[in-house]
Amino acid sequence: MYTTNWLRPLGAAALTLLLAQAGAAQETLKLGISAPLSGAAATWGLGMEWAAEQAAERVNAEGGVTANGKTYMFDIVSYDNKYSATEGARNAQTMLNRDGIDFIAGTIGTAPVRAMQALTERKGVILFTTAWGKSVKGPEFPFTFTQMNTPFEILVPFYNFIKEQHPDLKTAVLISPNDATGQELEPVAVETWKSLGVEMLASDWYERGTTEFQPIATKIATLNPDLVDFSAAPPTDVGSILKELDVLGWNGVKVMSAGTSVDALTAVAGEAAEGAYLGASADFSGETATEVQKELNAGAREALGEPLNGITISSYDAIMALRAAIEEADSIDPAKVQAVLSSVRFESSYGPSGFGGEATYDYPQQLLIPVIVTRVENGKAVELTRSNPAELEALIND
Amino acid sequence: MWNRLPGVWICVAIAIASVLFALLATNAYYTSLVVWVLTNAVLASALRFVLQIGELNIATAAFFGIGAYTTAITAVLLGWPFWLTLLLAPLVAGALSALFGWVTLRTKGPYFLLVSFAVTEVVRLIYTQTNAIGGNSGLVGMFPPMAIDAYYPALAVALLAATLFALYGVERSDLGRLFKAIENNDAIPRSVGLNVVLLKVLCVVIAGSAVGLAGGLHAYANNVIAPSDFTFFVAILALAYVKIGGEGHALGPVLGAALLTLVGQWVAGISAWENIFYGAVIVVTLLVFPGGLVGLAARARGLVTRSAR
Amino acid sequence: MELFVQLLANTLQIGAVYVLFALGLTLIFGVMKIVNFAHGAFFTAAALIVTSVVPFATVELGVPLWAGYLLAAIVAIVVVLCLGALVYSIGFQHVLKDLNGSFILSIGLLLILNGAYLAIYGGAPRTVPQVLPGTVSIFGAALTAQRLALVIVAAVVTGGLYLLIERTRLGLALRAVAMDQEAAMLQGMPFNRVALYGFLIGAALAACAGVLMAPINAVTPVSGDEFLIKAFIIIIIGGLGSVTGAIIGGLFIALIESMGGYFFDPSTATLAMFILVIAFLLVRPQGILGNVE
Repeated sequence: MYTTNWLRPLGAAALTLLLAQAGAAQETLKLGISAPLSGAAATWGLGMEWAAEQAAERVNAEGGVTANGKTYMFDIVSYDNKYSATEGARNAQTMLNRDGIDFIAGTIGTAPVRAMQALTERKGVILFTTAWGKSVKGPEFPFTFTQMNTPFEILVPFYNFIKEQHPDLKTAVLISPNDATGQELEPVAVETWKSLGVEMLASDWYERGTTEFQPIATKIATLNPDLVDFSAAPPTDVGSILKELDVLGWNGVKVMSAGTSVDALTAVAGEAAEGAYLGASADFSGETATEVQKELNAGAREALGEPLNGITISSYDAIMALRAAIEEADSIDPAKVQAVLSSVRFESSYGPSGFGGEATYDYPQQLLIPVIVTRVENGKAVELTRSNPAELEALIND
Repeated sequence: MWNRLPGVWICVAIAIASVLFALLATNAYYTSLVVWVLTNAVLASALRFVLQIGELNIATAAFFGIGAYTTAITAVLLGWPFWLTLLLAPLVAGALSALFGWVTLRTKGPYFLLVSFAVTEVVRLIYTQTNAIGGNSGLVGMFPPMAIDAYYPALAVALLAATLFALYGVERSDLGRLFKAIENNDAIPRSVGLNVVLLKVLCVVIAGSAVGLAGGLHAYANNVIAPSDFTFFVAILALAYVKIGGEGHALGPVLGAALLTLVGQWVAGISAWENIFYGAVIVVTLLVFPGGLVGLAARARGLVTRSAR
Repeated sequence: MELFVQLLANTLQIGAVYVLFALGLTLIFGVMKIVNFAHGAFFTAAALIVTSVVPFATVELGVPLWAGYLLAAIVAIVVVLCLGALVYSIGFQHVLKDLNGSFILSIGLLLILNGAYLAIYGGAPRTVPQVLPGTVSIFGAALTAQRLALVIVAAVVTGGLYLLIERTRLGLALRAVAMDQEAAMLQGMPFNRVALYGFLIGAALAACAGVLMAPINAVTPVSGDEFLIKAFIIIIIGGLGSVTGAIIGGLFIALIESMGGYFFDPSTATLAMFILVIAFLLVRPQGILGNVE
């Protein structure tokens, strides 16, 4: 069994070599991806890799990207960062100094991304990231761009909306996974709820990889809050807790600020997921999705067995931004591309887009896309409201 | 061959060549690659060092992390001078190894394996829950001083190579022979009045200091460290290097680390197949060449000498 | 009072899976003296097979859900037994009683199997519909019918295993080999065959746990590994190789998780578990019921 398995990479390598030679007539421009491709978070990395490949195919089919009179074809190279800083740093070394990559079109994981930045910022290589938290952003990281909404974009409009829907909300419990994202999100979430006059009864942590959620469900049911916020917990974990809460008879407002995948949530929780609010999920197959999103989503379902979400689709948007910026700068020099990225306008999978966020980060490096609030209704994500950040609104009307 | 003086000189020559390469090569990727190979070699050699007394010490990963965190904390949070932060890494890791060894080495075999595994997990969980050292996000910004920056890879390679020679030196000394004697049967050393527990602790401390230094060097080489870098999996990979290189000789783990790290770089980018590849290499080596590369070389040499006769 | 009953019910629910999982691990250790890091892969294989056979049976064959689930359970256990026999004959057979060799072999196998699961099934969580929907209330404690069934089946399987070990010739052989392999071989026991049976029973127990958990939790290619760490803690506490120890240890860890998760938070409970196990090993390295070496 293992003989065939370990022969595959050899085959893949040979194939890449052949393809590389076949396409030697055109210049290729390598775009890097660094994401978990094995282990518990593999599904995110594999989805991001797939979406990036679709974007590259699309750009290449449309004749590639032209700069300084030359035409370049995009080529995606992806590395497994195993969610660790060590591997992130090694990915960066390999991409920058071996493969000569100047544009990194997608990264997942706060720790590996911080490790990559140490090199990318020093060498002036453009780094797109889904990593949340202010620690990876600011004027000291001018080559870093965020490719999706983060809590700083989502939480205020999201929580406000929920509070409007349920004006008599008084108490809440926050459940966070003990990981980098959970730790970045927790204080912001607690603060935002407090500012809305909601009292935090408890803010508890659990380890990633927990399999049994009855103890935490029992605790929540005993505290009996009006609302439970699952912050950055992955959908399957939230599904398990919701199912246990349903058994125990608790039925309050369910909130997932970082909720990405409704499919995974409802698959686990079934009816218990009904009515849950999701802050980072978009229904890419519904009425409000763009044609591009519908097409990508259907393709992902076929190829990966699951739809895309806000994290995985982000590599598509990053590549569209890069194409626009390279053509605008008329150069593939990352410094020149970086100089125009903040102001470039392009068509993301969500529609017209650009970069902003200077008010929050002191530097315009945040992708501007709508904040979409969805709720689980009859097992499907239903979009309740979509609000464009003021900067995006201005850009569209411009 | 390697046991004799010429073999050692060949290794010294290779080490010096590596340092020169790290000093002179202009491509940062290749200099980093030499640093990774040697870091892995030290991890694997330290693991094998404790295997001399018959114990599989998963906590090798923990002491690597403790070294890295010691350097990172003193450098980033306290702003202490570069050399001091580097010096503290093996000292702190060694001191904690002594505590660890003194407490845990009354167990052995599978019990020691599992307790060292539990210790590794506890240490990692403590990092994740301590906000002062960055929690899950870890610490960032360990940069060598400007004057050293350009030479840092060469410095790291030199120190790591020296560590490897030091471990080999101890193994060849009388102390090393005592460690071997403990593995075979700890009743005999005890019967001649030796304090076996103390010897075992000493063995763990030497290995712990070695990986502690490697951890400190890793912190500066990587610039960023986080708890997820120091899971028990680090020790497991090190064990794979030992098994593939061969346990029979001090050169085994070094060869294993070099081979797997270099091949691993070659297959990186095949994403999900990487793990399958590693797994297959481990299984096939273990079943087909139980002696590893060193065993293979010894067998080949046996054939040569036999045919020469 | 009601709370106390609920916490106890939680303990039993959590403990049932832990016990099944740990029993297999401890049995394999007892007989073969190997620490099998790939044990979780058997659990995962069984659970993944259930998630693909159940939809096939109910949609393609048109059988009712319970029949589809039973079919899936049989297929899963048979496939895992074959996988176990394969892994044993090409791998573990050659490294019996070599603690370090078998340990690293099991890790190699784990990497291959996890990679293969990811390649075949993808990383997305997979689920099967609940076979026994609904909730039951026992002395004020609420739990799903599915979980209750799990606890009952786990108890029956555990009881069956106990009888097998205490009352049958195979059980006697397993115990004899676990206690003193050389003496057992001198008595004419075919060590290799006994070791294979022990290994297969262990694999079947993991498969059983996987089959039972599939309708309850989402299944991913790494599902089994998450139980593995807990199972190691359990068999340390119970004593490596001890069947009764695995049962007591499993329930004890479930109790800590249940109480710790409620009165503190789950993250703290996890840390407490590891610290406890270290303390335990130092005070009583052979565990609650382990043999003194």
